[in-house]
Amino acid sequence: MWQLIMTELKAIISDKAIAVTLFGGVLFYSVLYPLPYLHQVPTEQQLIVVDLDHSSLSRQLIRHADASAKIQVIGQVGSIAEAKRYIQTRKAHGLLVIPEGFRRDLLLGKGVTLSYGGDASYFLIYSAVAEGLVSAGMDAGKQVQLIGMLAQGQNPKQAQQSLNSIHLNSVPAFNPSLGYTPYVVPGLFLLILHQTLLIGTGILGAGQWRQRGYWQQVSPVQLIGGRILAFMLIYMFFTSFYVGYCYHWYNVSIQASLGLVALWLLPFLLATAAAGIAMSSLFTRRDLPTQVLLLISMPILFVSGFVWPLALIPEPLVLGSQFIPAVPAIMGMLELNQMGASWASVMPKWLQLWGLFAVFFGLAILGVKRRVRLLKAQVG
Amino acid sequence: MTERTPDANTVDNSKQSPSRISFIALVRRELRALWHDPWQLALVSYIPLLGIFCLWWLFSAGLPRQLPVAIVDQDHSQLSRMLTRQLKANPVTEPQNFTDLTAAVTAMKQAKVYAIVVFPYDMKKDLLTGHKPTIDVRYNSQFLLVGKLLSSQIQLSLGEGLLHVAGLKQLASGTPKSQVAVNLSPVKSQTTALFNRNNNYIGFLVPPVLVALWQLLSMLVMANSLNRELHLNPMNIDSDTYHDVSNVLTVAFWPKVLAKMVLFTPILMLQGGFILVWLYLYLGLPVAGSLASLLLAQSVMLLAVWSLVLLVFVVMRDSARVISFCTALFAPAFAFMGITFPTHEMPQLAQWWRLIMPSSHYIESHVSVVSYGAALPSVVSQLCSYWGFLCLLPVIYFLSRKLLPITVNATSAVTAYDSDATQPAKGQ
Repeated sequence: MWQLIMTELKAIISDKAIAVTLFGGVLFYSVLYPLPYLHQVPTEQQLIVVDLDHSSLSRQLIRHADASAKIQVIGQVGSIAEAKRYIQTRKAHGLLVIPEGFRRDLLLGKGVTLSYGGDASYFLIYSAVAEGLVSAGMDAGKQVQLIGMLAQGQNPKQAQQSLNSIHLNSVPAFNPSLGYTPYVVPGLFLLILHQTLLIGTGILGAGQWRQRGYWQQVSPVQLIGGRILAFMLIYMFFTSFYVGYCYHWYNVSIQASLGLVALWLLPFLLATAAAGIAMSSLFTRRDLPTQVLLLISMPILFVSGFVWPLALIPEPLVLGSQFIPAVPAIMGMLELNQMGASWASVMPKWLQLWGLFAVFFGLAILGVKRRVRLLKAQVG
Repeated sequence: MTERTPDANTVDNSKQSPSRISFIALVRRELRALWHDPWQLALVSYIPLLGIFCLWWLFSAGLPRQLPVAIVDQDHSQLSRMLTRQLKANPVTEPQNFTDLTAAVTAMKQAKVYAIVVFPYDMKKDLLTGHKPTIDVRYNSQFLLVGKLLSSQIQLSLGEGLLHVAGLKQLASGTPKSQVAVNLSPVKSQTTALFNRNNNYIGFLVPPVLVALWQLLSMLVMANSLNRELHLNPMNIDSDTYHDVSNVLTVAFWPKVLAKMVLFTPILMLQGGFILVWLYLYLGLPVAGSLASLLLAQSVMLLAVWSLVLLVFVVMRDSARVISFCTALFAPAFAFMGITFPTHEMPQLAQWWRLIMPSSHYIESHVSVVSYGAALPSVVSQLCSYWGFLCLLPVIYFLSRKLLPITVNATSAVTAYDSDATQPAKGQ
């Protein structure tokens, strides 16, 4: 058995296409994929102001907006049409319109309406602009209210209190900075491991089936066992690098203990390796597995439920995707490691991964047996 | 465009000089190759359809609705029930009652609910007696999209409800009714989502996702077609190959490439056009400009993708490696488009890498046409951003002159039967 594993390892490393995919791909993607998100949170979005009031209060409002971390006021223009042109040429991403008579109406005790606009072609920008402006506007409103109340002769402390009768304490859980890498990296990196492992086993198998070789001389069960163990040996290091070092480097929040994470990833890697071998028996062209897996990687990413909530994905797609080891693995990992769920609550998914391992192992045996038969028939 | 044979070509070349090969024959040769390759056929027929449909279906809900929110009501007052009803009235939130906090926390950790709202004990009493109770809201920001949405919607709903309470308080203290609303919120705000008015996720996410898919497909189709040239046996011309077309890689390389482009451009433009028709005509997503100018942008993007594939091909000249390298290059294209995460917030390195991806150039034109209604001239001026790809062409030409003969010589030295590096490409 040990010899078989060594032969497998040699076959993997001496095959340039596999070596490049496994070693190059895993390293390259660990840098490239999170690269756009390194700044985590969009701040200082450019805002253009249409000030039709030109009063002290409107200027104060603009200063408040500029002071918000999410917004940077880049200038003032005379009309909304002009502001729109700024947005269309991407010089600005949002606009604030202060209506004429803003200060006067407020002092007279009439209500006024501020208009905010954000470019919703880009949701993250839009939400940043809206958040920044709403808080600046509320602030200005409070200020005016306070002045009004004080003018009516209320004592300052009580005035403060009646403005905020109930305090809303809204706090993000699990990803406290609302950063983008802690959101994307945990799921994405498991998917990268999944896809490269499938590609590696796929290319290795597809390259061998047509030629005689050591793979015929051992029984299918032995071959599959040896191959899985060989890949597991390599992926132990990759997974440790991803889940250990990269998670830490990209500020992913970590809740579970090392032992639990290892226990969780064991059936995931086993099931994926078995699935890869089962799949590889379908191919004899070495360039095909990469292509197939490339095309399905985006759908797997979106169906796994951390980008787009599972509750909104059509039921047939969710059910169908349960056969892909990455789908339960990503969700369970997020629950276990990022959101701190107990082991008991992720147990069903863990058992599901073991079930997938059993199914794919069976399919792999059938597939390899078929390949042995085909080659014999071919050779004669 | 008919080039003379590169002089380094030493393979016995008893066939006619390529200038006599009619271009039509080359195109027919490509068509035949396509017809005999089931995988290529799949790539141009049902795979794009299936991919487009599945990805659209995934996001077909469009607007996040009825996301489960746990309510832990420790107050059991008329006020807390009123606030729960407020949350129920919001289409985004679907309140679910939990009797104790630990159960709610467990549900949140299992992603069964996406947020928790806790109404504290004696909330109403505190409010009436002039204290300042705190309503705790925790939202799941591990799922950033859902978390941010819920945070703002819950605050909106509760804020609205609380305003109501404060209004009653004001009336009780004798403020005239007409004045109450103004007193409560003297500055009203009206937030407008420009260009994608109802914050529809189909309009936001599906076009870039499909463009990324389309880019992968065009890359694969061209890479496969080029790779096929590597596996043809240069010695004997298959009896069924078209008359006089030599299978030697260097013979008429550029006309062959041109023939591939002539064949695949209409096919892939059909796919690209289908995406536009499906999204903007059939599903009726709002589009401000004209789709014709987008077709122009798509065709330029296609050429840019192919110039990259060609570059990788002449450098690598091995089918599995060409595919692996192109995959590595194009797979993360979606992240770099700058739709989900804004471009100007990316680090400099990412912005440079982004320029290599044709899809990020295209998506700029796409957004400006669909959202801002850009006219043809401004689209054309945006197309100038592809200038870098134009610079690639001489490089590719130079490399092809230098490197392709090496491969040809190598494969002609090793005879038809060869090492594991080049597997037979035909069928499976």
